[in-house]
Amino acid sequence: MTAQPAKGYDWMPLDEAQAATARIRLDGFLRSVERRALRIAELSVGSRDEALDLVQDAMLAFVRNYAAKSEADWPPLFYRVLDSRVTDWHRRSQVRGRWLGSWWPAAREDDEDPIAMAADPVEAGPLGRLIGEDAGQALEGALRGLPLRQRQAFLLRIWEGLDVADTATAMRCGEGSVKTHLWRALAALRSALEAHR
Amino acid sequence: MKSSPDDWTEQARAVLDASAQGLDAATLSRLNRARQQALAAATPTRPALRWTRRLAIATSLLLAVTIWWPDSGPVPTAPNGPPLSPEDAELLADGALEMTDDPEFYAWLDADADHNG
Repeated sequence: MTAQPAKGYDWMPLDEAQAATARIRLDGFLRSVERRALRIAELSVGSRDEALDLVQDAMLAFVRNYAAKSEADWPPLFYRVLDSRVTDWHRRSQVRGRWLGSWWPAAREDDEDPIAMAADPVEAGPLGRLIGEDAGQALEGALRGLPLRQRQAFLLRIWEGLDVADTATAMRCGEGSVKTHLWRALAALRSALEAHR
Repeated sequence: MKSSPDDWTEQARAVLDASAQGLDAATLSRLNRARQQALAAATPTRPALRWTRRLAIATSLLLAVTIWWPDSGPVPTAPNGPPLSPEDAELLADGALEMTDDPEFYAWLDADADHNG
């Protein structure tokens, strides 16, 4: 990347050709992640409109703060911004819920029994018995039922394809936490999808 | 045929990919606008232009302050003279100040000064 590191909006190269190239690269990156980012946000907040607002906010903050970074660092940094926005959204929702009286208890990660939820390695895949739209709805429902951190770990590692270190960067936690969240997410998803048989 | 855990995560990935590819046109349009707005925020600004703009703003502010600053200088007062003697005070109180309008009074003062001086 030829961009000059600087604060705020000053990251772009002064040369017009370089600026155009940098802009094209940035556009290409955002274009490559925007759909998955929207679905990740939507699965977390349950509303497409809210998810679109979060993705837009994340794009703006990413361009402002991280565009000057190496392109290799862009995916974890973009998802870090998005994860931050989603987390903030949940905090605000919790505050609102506290005032309005929360009628729907949040899923608690610590209540799960990892042994009971462990996958049977010889059992057929839970999605294997579901086809087409049924599989999509079942998976979406199961993902929505996951605690936020587990869902983020699953989506970033399994769907987005970030490695453990990049997922840890995106989730602002340690690699060990990522592995724990992912393991629990896989177990919970398998369990939830089994119920759709 | 049994599937491994990796198989079902592959299936999950395919399902999620399909959901992302199947977004409706209105959503894609909003995503496009969001991306364009983010990129527009990164429009480069030349340092020289930035400094010129800042200098112009500073100059304008200085000019405005100079023009509109309230005049806070000392209020002009009469120079401090010798204290008023009781005779002069009595003269002023009697309204004899009308004499100052008489040119002959000043001629008399001059003549008196020449005589004494």
